[in-house]
Amino acid sequence: MNLPKIHSISKKILVGALGAFLSFFLLFHASANLLILRHDGGEWYNAFCHFMGTYIIVKVMEIGLLAALLLHVVLAIWLAVTNKMARPKGYHKPQRSKTHTGSKLQVWTGILIFACLIMHFTDFYFVKIGLVKGKYLAKTEDVVALKTTQPDAINYAEQHGEYSAKENWLTNFDKEDKAVLEAAGLEVEPDFYHQAREKFKILHIVISYLVFFTVVWFHLRHGFAAVFQTFGLYNYKYGKAIEVLGQIYTWVVCLMFAVVVIGVYFGLEL
Amino acid sequence: MKLDSKIPAGPLAEKWTNYKASQKLVNPANKRKLDIIVVGTGLAGASAAASLGAMGFNVDIFCIQDSPRRAHSIAAQGGINAAKNYQNDGDSVERLFRDTIKGGDYRAREANVYRLAEVSGAIIDQCVAQGVPFARDYGGLLDNRSFGGAQVSRTFYAKGQTGQQLLLGAYGALSREIARGTVKLHTRCEMMDLVVVEGRARGIIVRNLVTGDLERYAAHAVVLATGGYGNLYYLSTNAMNSNGSAAWVCHRKGAAFANPCYVQIHPTCIPVHGDYQSKLTLMSESLRNDGRIWVPKKKEDAEAIRAGKLKPTEIPEENRDYYLERRYPAFGNLVPRDVASRAAKERCDAGYGVGTGYAVYLDFADAIQCLGKDVVEQKYGNLFQMYQKITDENPYETPMMIYPAIHYTMGGLWVDYELQTTIPGLFAAGEANFSDHGANRLGASALMQGLADGYFVLPYTMQNYLADQIYVGKISATTPEFDAAEEVVRVRLNRLLQIGAQATLNSKLSTLNSVDHFHKALGKIMWEYCGMARNTESLTKAKKLVSELEEEFWKKVFIPGTSNEFNPELEKAYRLEDYFELAQLVIDDAMHREESCGGHFRTEHQTQDGETLRDDERFMYVAAWEYQGHGHTETMEKEPLVYEHIQIANRNYK
Amino acid sequence: MKFTLHIWRQENARAKGHFETYPLEGISPDCSFLEMLDILNEQLINDHIAHPVCFDNDCREGICGMCGLYINGRPHGNDDGITTCQLHMRKFHDGDDIWIEPWRAKPFPVIRDLVVDRSAFDKIIQAGGYISTTTGGVPDANTIPVPKHKADMAMDAASCIGCGACVAACKNASAMLFVGAKVSHLALLPQGQIEAADRVHKMVCKMDELGFGSCTNTYACEAECPKLIKRQNISRLNRQWIGALFGRDRK
Repeated sequence: MNLPKIHSISKKILVGALGAFLSFFLLFHASANLLILRHDGGEWYNAFCHFMGTYIIVKVMEIGLLAALLLHVVLAIWLAVTNKMARPKGYHKPQRSKTHTGSKLQVWTGILIFACLIMHFTDFYFVKIGLVKGKYLAKTEDVVALKTTQPDAINYAEQHGEYSAKENWLTNFDKEDKAVLEAAGLEVEPDFYHQAREKFKILHIVISYLVFFTVVWFHLRHGFAAVFQTFGLYNYKYGKAIEVLGQIYTWVVCLMFAVVVIGVYFGLEL
Repeated sequence: MKLDSKIPAGPLAEKWTNYKASQKLVNPANKRKLDIIVVGTGLAGASAAASLGAMGFNVDIFCIQDSPRRAHSIAAQGGINAAKNYQNDGDSVERLFRDTIKGGDYRAREANVYRLAEVSGAIIDQCVAQGVPFARDYGGLLDNRSFGGAQVSRTFYAKGQTGQQLLLGAYGALSREIARGTVKLHTRCEMMDLVVVEGRARGIIVRNLVTGDLERYAAHAVVLATGGYGNLYYLSTNAMNSNGSAAWVCHRKGAAFANPCYVQIHPTCIPVHGDYQSKLTLMSESLRNDGRIWVPKKKEDAEAIRAGKLKPTEIPEENRDYYLERRYPAFGNLVPRDVASRAAKERCDAGYGVGTGYAVYLDFADAIQCLGKDVVEQKYGNLFQMYQKITDENPYETPMMIYPAIHYTMGGLWVDYELQTTIPGLFAAGEANFSDHGANRLGASALMQGLADGYFVLPYTMQNYLADQIYVGKISATTPEFDAAEEVVRVRLNRLLQIGAQATLNSKLSTLNSVDHFHKALGKIMWEYCGMARNTESLTKAKKLVSELEEEFWKKVFIPGTSNEFNPELEKAYRLEDYFELAQLVIDDAMHREESCGGHFRTEHQTQDGETLRDDERFMYVAAWEYQGHGHTETMEKEPLVYEHIQIANRNYK
Repeated sequence: MKFTLHIWRQENARAKGHFETYPLEGISPDCSFLEMLDILNEQLINDHIAHPVCFDNDCREGICGMCGLYINGRPHGNDDGITTCQLHMRKFHDGDDIWIEPWRAKPFPVIRDLVVDRSAFDKIIQAGGYISTTTGGVPDANTIPVPKHKADMAMDAASCIGCGACVAACKNASAMLFVGAKVSHLALLPQGQIEAADRVHKMVCKMDELGFGSCTNTYACEAECPKLIKRQNISRLNRQWIGALFGRDRK
């Protein structure tokens, strides 16, 4: 196979740049997640999700994000394979040099993250693209008006879901309800707030997500400073600062994710 | 054999200029038709090959290591001298010339030394242009330090790794020429013989050390830059693979060998500590800038230290004998190497030695107190670390222990002003020749000489030789001379391997010994009887012992394996075979030179206070020896040393 | 002291190698690692059991870069900032098992036993690891001032001895520290600026071509470098590379 010629350092710079992009997304994602903990029945969070799911520029960026993820994975595996080829015969004694453990695990944490992402997508993202069923909501112009035109549907909805007067949303429907609402001509979209609230009540899901975040922690902890190194920005003067910044960033992102999951499990609402 | 040193006419300061103005040159188009072989990739070899390649000659370069960068020049620590006078402390070409002549105890050729001093400045320019990271001061200009035998600071340095940096500079220049295709590199190849055709050096036979194959290379001229023969003494500061064989095979083919008895013993090496020891590690001479050398004043203190009952730090100031400062107040700890070495030996022989009894202290307590630990660490940190790794002692807390060890050989192939040996077309550069240091070399001058020869002397003088070689055409490597030379090598290798095979047949295998066993024994004899101090009696004894050992070697050496494989034991064996002959010559030369000068100290010839006593009437000459066949005493030819410019004086560092 | 040595034996480049076990007794703790191997070889020669163990070595004072053994999972053994020849037996415990392997990397094929061919490093340097000068015709040394801190950093990078421990230690057999050290050394000096962009491009291309792996920022190289060359030099190499992506623009 004739692969395009990309020099090793350029390849790494690409992996690093994509990684940096992805880790910025993580910070964004984690910050947004905090809205789940808000004591508002998911109003803000679902409003945010609605914006993310409908705004055209965000939709384009979403494709970009997925492409970045895939390219990051493909290039990293390509590098890993060529790197393996650089030492056809290995050592008998395992390496005992003093190095960061995280860095040696980077490929493996990356693969684990990919596996965890499939779980995560099954729980949330695939609901959105219709591959998996989850919780749904319907946004209406005016519930009061709707009650007069389609009373059956609204009554059904009020019995099975919840009604948010402020935003005129009908939320927290199960997948069986989705068809009924759609038949009534309501526009249905995923209800990630209630989806999260339901999923993270289940202990084994909480645990698997915490494992997921730990793996992300390892991946990020090495990745952050490594990106600076690969971009040639790691030097004597700022080396320490970059490492500290990397630690802070990693902890903040991972803790934010973890707080939401644990908070939901214990029914925390603020 | 007739020695013609070919010193150009005219006043000393104009000789080199005159030579360059009137020498023959090779036109650019002809240069690529001329082949040159360079053996050795140290400072002299690499710089010569790079310069000659850049000029357009067709160069083949050979080294025994896996890369040209491994040559032992890399281990030089302290620095390189140059008469730049950047410090405005009174340095000049004339001053460097005088210091070198005096340092060599008036046994060096004036014209060569003057030329060396003259081109020294250009070496620094060249190295800086190549990117050698010399030490600098805060203004960004070059820094200097002082070295033994000089009262000015003219030594340029790059931490304690100056040799490494200079070699990497030359290696870079060489690599560039290899990339351009003007130089072809042959690594892990050892020169086994010189091929002489119609009286001229025309090629070499090499052994590919990986496959064991013998290969032939033909050229219009051969440059030998293979270093010295210090490993004759087994324990030395030389690298394990450094050897004198390439020079010796040339000597066998007719190149005269000059002043073999001038061997330099470096005063500051880590002392011997066990039988298993394979080499001695040098501690840079630069340490003597700030370190003070002493032994206990009282014998009982020295005894207590040796018994481990007393620590050096417990000896009060008044009970310490800073013997160099005491004996040589003007130069103090910075006397030349031979002087410092002998003084250490004198104290140890008198029973004041510490450690095993053969060691003195090099103390930095004063320097640390006065300059601060940081400054000392910055200046010498890597040397201190090296010392600590080897000895497991912290030199910041307890004084270092040092003792003299074989370091450099001033003797080597005899060369004329053009660095050409007595075989036309065979040139010798760097430590392999004898030319510039007389009976003792000053610190930081070996690097200077190697680079001067390679960058600034050979590129001129070789053209003078090669100018008419263009008529000869391409040299063929299939002539009978090449066949014969290769056959000699083959026979030689077989003869060595036969010893073990014979013993196996006679089931006498258990009586055999390794090559190292014999090498260690030879080293011991030479160090004991032909080392720092020599006399008729010891030399006579040495000669006898060496002969006996050689005889035993030929009966009992066991070399495993064959000659057609990677076989380090075989390499050691043929190098040692040459050392046996060389040892005899060193002894003969030491015996005949009935005077003391520089590194050659005959106990019969010393002043009342134990300094060298020269005999200028009888021995102001270079002794050039001619090979007469194995087991035959060599004949000696004298090249008188004529000092037109310099005033001969007693060498006084008091 | 007493040791059990497990040494990689391989007759030549084509042969299939294996580990051989040799017990060794009566070793002084002040003995260097290579001297310990000398003693073993002396015994092998005297007992006529096997061909002595081949290993590269030369200066035995840590500067030539010739020696290099992978000892119990660490290049140059269990100490920091040293070469194999500077490793002393006092760093081991009495009765230790010592596994000795050659450098393992595709560009460093084994020649015999523990001896490997490192000429790949020379090829990288030949690709551009120098400043193009010819002898003579250069300016006076002091007409090129260099800020002291830069000269010092250049010196630190230039102290690389080309032993290959960085490659041996790296899980990817990457030569980035070696290349980074040379690129840094020359890029830090004004003399080296002129060819900087071309140099980094050529050296990295050659490094890739020779089959070295790439850097995954594990820094095992830094941990094992006998001359303590820092990862900052790899960073500078990357920076130079990015600069060269645009800096090599020409007609």
